Amino acid sequence: MFKYVTTAALSAVLATAAMADGSKVGLVPGGPHPFFADWEPGGLAAQKDFGLEAGDFKVPQKWELNLQNDLLLSMVVQGYDAFVVHPGDPVGSAPTLNEIVGTGSPVVIASACLKDPSDVAFCIATEARDSAYRGTKKLIESMGDGPKKIVHFAGWLVEPNTQLRIEGVERAVAEHDSVEIFQVIADIDAPEPAEEKISAYMAAYGSETDGIITTGWVPTVVAANALRKDGSKRIKMVGIDHDPVVVQAIKDGYVVGSMLQNPYGQSYIAAFAADRLRSGCSVKDDAPFTAHPLTARFIDSGAPYLHAGNVEDRAAVDEAMTKELLSTFEETYLDC
Amino acid sequence: MFATSEKYREFGREGATDWLKRIALSNEFGLFALIVVAVLVFSSLASGFLSNFNLYLLGRIIAVNTMIGFSMMVVLVTGGLNLAVGAIGVCVAMTCGWLIEDIGLPWYIAIALAIVVGAGLGAINGLLVVWSGLHSFIITLATMSIFFGGMIFLTRAESFREMPGVFTDFSRLKFFGSVSAMLIPTCIVAVLLGILYRLTRTGKEMLAAGAQPAAAEQSGLRVKKLFVLCHVLSGAVAGCAGLMLLARNGAAIPAMAGNLGQDWLLIAFLGPVLGGAVLLGGYVSVLGAFLGATLVSVLSNGLLLIQVGEFWVQACLGLMLLLAVVLDKVRRLFVEN
Repeated sequence: MFKYVTTAALSAVLATAAMADGSKVGLVPGGPHPFFADWEPGGLAAQKDFGLEAGDFKVPQKWELNLQNDLLLSMVVQGYDAFVVHPGDPVGSAPTLNEIVGTGSPVVIASACLKDPSDVAFCIATEARDSAYRGTKKLIESMGDGPKKIVHFAGWLVEPNTQLRIEGVERAVAEHDSVEIFQVIADIDAPEPAEEKISAYMAAYGSETDGIITTGWVPTVVAANALRKDGSKRIKMVGIDHDPVVVQAIKDGYVVGSMLQNPYGQSYIAAFAADRLRSGCSVKDDAPFTAHPLTARFIDSGAPYLHAGNVEDRAAVDEAMTKELLSTFEETYLDC
Repeated sequence: MFATSEKYREFGREGATDWLKRIALSNEFGLFALIVVAVLVFSSLASGFLSNFNLYLLGRIIAVNTMIGFSMMVVLVTGGLNLAVGAIGVCVAMTCGWLIEDIGLPWYIAIALAIVVGAGLGAINGLLVVWSGLHSFIITLATMSIFFGGMIFLTRAESFREMPGVFTDFSRLKFFGSVSAMLIPTCIVAVLLGILYRLTRTGKEMLAAGAQPAAAEQSGLRVKKLFVLCHVLSGAVAGCAGLMLLARNGAAIPAMAGNLGQDWLLIAFLGPVLGGAVLLGGYVSVLGAFLGATLVSVLSNGLLLIQVGEFWVQACLGLMLLLAVVLDKVRRLFVEN
């Protein structure tokens, strides 16, 4: 009896010790945005599955670099020792993140990338330019033959991916002589500017527009609502991400498709990697990183195309993508 | 003889009492006491508050916030204000980035020229204020949009990111493991402003012109010229704050002070106003503005550390500042009685 009690007590102590040894991971986006709603469950799932001491999601009160920097540094003081960060600026975030790495806390960048050189471990995200390129190709395909005019509604100009997405759309359009970009309207990834500018555009030029490509969460939602209100289904649209409004619009035929990014999987895997790096693993010298305009240490988390044919299985698409990446992640990218 | 000695002793006691009373009644003492209380509270609630790393971070925040406060304080002297401090600060940082990255100038020349641009933008504010006779609130509200909009148009909202390492090296430099080097430019500007208002004729004329413009005019002071000079100074100091943020970020970023530079406004007013600046003009306290900005920085840093919740920090900050002002009033009443 004494033996069983001792064994049980020892197991409990070891389990507690193992838990205490886990990293205190902080997940910090550039600012409040619906895209990051999946980061919180991603961090909590990583905490549970990988025995982290914490997998806390903390949001700066505004999309402002100084606020994010202050928040990150205050978390270092609070004892967080590993970080998953969506950088507020691809260059401006580097000094602060380097400073954090200098304290011995690894930083993994997720959902967007930091420009090299920096001391962060690597970046795990969707290849934004390629995703925008493929989305635009899908849009052009859906519009059919003949001269077409498309409009591009894009996100914040300060967001690291926006310029890449603009380039991706331009590259796809450049491959089709009959298609032209009528207008690029950027810096509208919030309800007020998106409603105002998209409504004004649709009122003025809706009749001359054949297609809409959107590369920001809020513009996608607003444009999908505008097309539902219009009701004609004449204008084709390819959006981004998986807001319920957009998913429903795909089901109802108002939106052709959407390029997914899997923020849950990105945060989950990034938290896992940050913990492993804090526990003594290092990034492999010969890790098979892929090319990215901002960094040489890029891991493409994939950007599947959501359309009428697979819209019912969105969660399964994300889950499969996450599982596939995680299954080989450690042996592919880390030396442990 | 005894009576005389006793009288002198009594006089000395009264002098010392008056002196102590004057110090206790001063705004600066109240702020210092509040800072001490805040430090004690936060250090007992957040274990890392007094760590070397946090003191270093705190020093850096205080340095920038104080500089922003100074840029407003030098215009409060006139009884006016400068809503465009943030826009000017960002314009100066962007100019510096452009001069280094696109024009290829050495960093020290770029810094000097960028500060001249800041002073120039301040001069535009000052000239418009004295020429139009309108309150500086209206003028600087307009120029805030004009300066920021012009900068966005010229730069196409693109950041300048190829800054020399000297900027980030400086922002990361620390002494004794916990004192940020960013405090150096702030202390230099503080000393210069102190000398200006205490020891120079121009500074004293600025205060006189701000207190009673009509009387100052009648006594021969060139009030309009002095007001323009105050705005020039404000532009230059706002530029210094912009350059400090550039150093911290390692890049000149259009959004570094929020849309239109509005994110600087609260901190720009809080420091000098808490420090005892008279909003109608004529009196400012450099030490008070420094302590005011320090109190605000300590509060925001401490609140973050005790995890009040990032969205509640601003609300708590406002509440605590209100409390601080009330406590200061109670302290004055107590001492006076």
